[in-house]
Amino acid sequence: MSEKGASAKKTVQKLHELGFTHVLMIPDSESRLLYEALENDPKIDLITPCREGESVAIATGLWTGGLKPLLVIQNTGLMEAGDSLRGCGVGPNVPLRMMVGWRGYGGAMAGKLPIDSAYTYTEPLLGAWKIPTWRLMSDDDLGTLKMMDQTAAETSYPAAVITGYGFKP
Amino acid sequence: MIERMELFRAVAEQRTNEIVVMTMTATLQWPLVSESDLDFDFLAFGMGHAADFGLGLAIARPERKTIVWKGDGGMLMSLGSLVTLAKYAPENLVVFLLENRSYEMVGGQELPPRADFIELARASGFEGGGASSKGKVERIDSFEAFQEALPRILTEAGPHFIVLPVTNREKLPPVNHSDHAGRIQTLRKALNVSE
Repeated sequence: MSEKGASAKKTVQKLHELGFTHVLMIPDSESRLLYEALENDPKIDLITPCREGESVAIATGLWTGGLKPLLVIQNTGLMEAGDSLRGCGVGPNVPLRMMVGWRGYGGAMAGKLPIDSAYTYTEPLLGAWKIPTWRLMSDDDLGTLKMMDQTAAETSYPAAVITGYGFKP
Repeated sequence: MIERMELFRAVAEQRTNEIVVMTMTATLQWPLVSESDLDFDFLAFGMGHAADFGLGLAIARPERKTIVWKGDGGMLMSLGSLVTLAKYAPENLVVFLLENRSYEMVGGQELPPRADFIELARASGFEGGGASSKGKVERIDSFEAFQEALPRILTEAGPHFIVLPVTNREKLPPVNHSDHAGRIQTLRKALNVSE
């Protein structure tokens, strides 16, 4: 089994293979290396809004116009963006592709207390929206990106991978 | 103050191939003057995010303008959007801010009286900023001035952020929750987009 965390470089390669045109993300501590890998990427445009609700609406606009965006969003931002996800993704059946950073997962798995409430509510929240999820915890799981992508396309509904250990170079 | 329906009629008459996006109150009146597959009137969209959606569309479809009718209450719900709009600043984005200083749809409660949307847009870097360096911030106070400016706004490079002080004398039609998924699919079809 690979070490914890997916390679940012290999993840970007996967995003190229899947034809993503844009990534919308606000830097956070766990996705920092992915952000850096995308900053000067020649094939994928990086958009950094001020708040995640914006990200969701911009992504919906890009998709409606014929492009293929990926939302990279920490669980805390997902919670902030709830109404936007409802109104721009879940409600109108938009196949938003998402990569949700699971803040608190590593600490919880290591038995550290107190448990981060962002960890606690991430999967139940996505489940409440009936958004299918896959876990991307290491390079072994990079195939989940394709599964997430295909499911979003086939169901015309948001789908997400959840990253529990962030990224390595 | 400008009568909102006069604005809508003027834009509907001069609009050609532009995408027109709105949420909330504007969705009740725009369909009275326009019936186009390039319209996106979606009441229950993410609250405050019409301009963000418009930004995504404008980036995706640079061959045509995207016009956003946005309420000032909605603007306050996502004020950070101004900074994002100013940063990416596609030349083909037009944001018409309908300034009635109230939450009209839910009873007309007043907005914070000292908030100045022109200054907020300028402070966000909208004017002369972004990828295009052509961002424009304007306030148009009369219908006559709007009529004069509209051909320019619809043709010159932007993006444009235009504050329009409005009133409304006409009775609002009842709320109509349109087919949300259908609205987006209709727009994609009009843009010749396929999954």
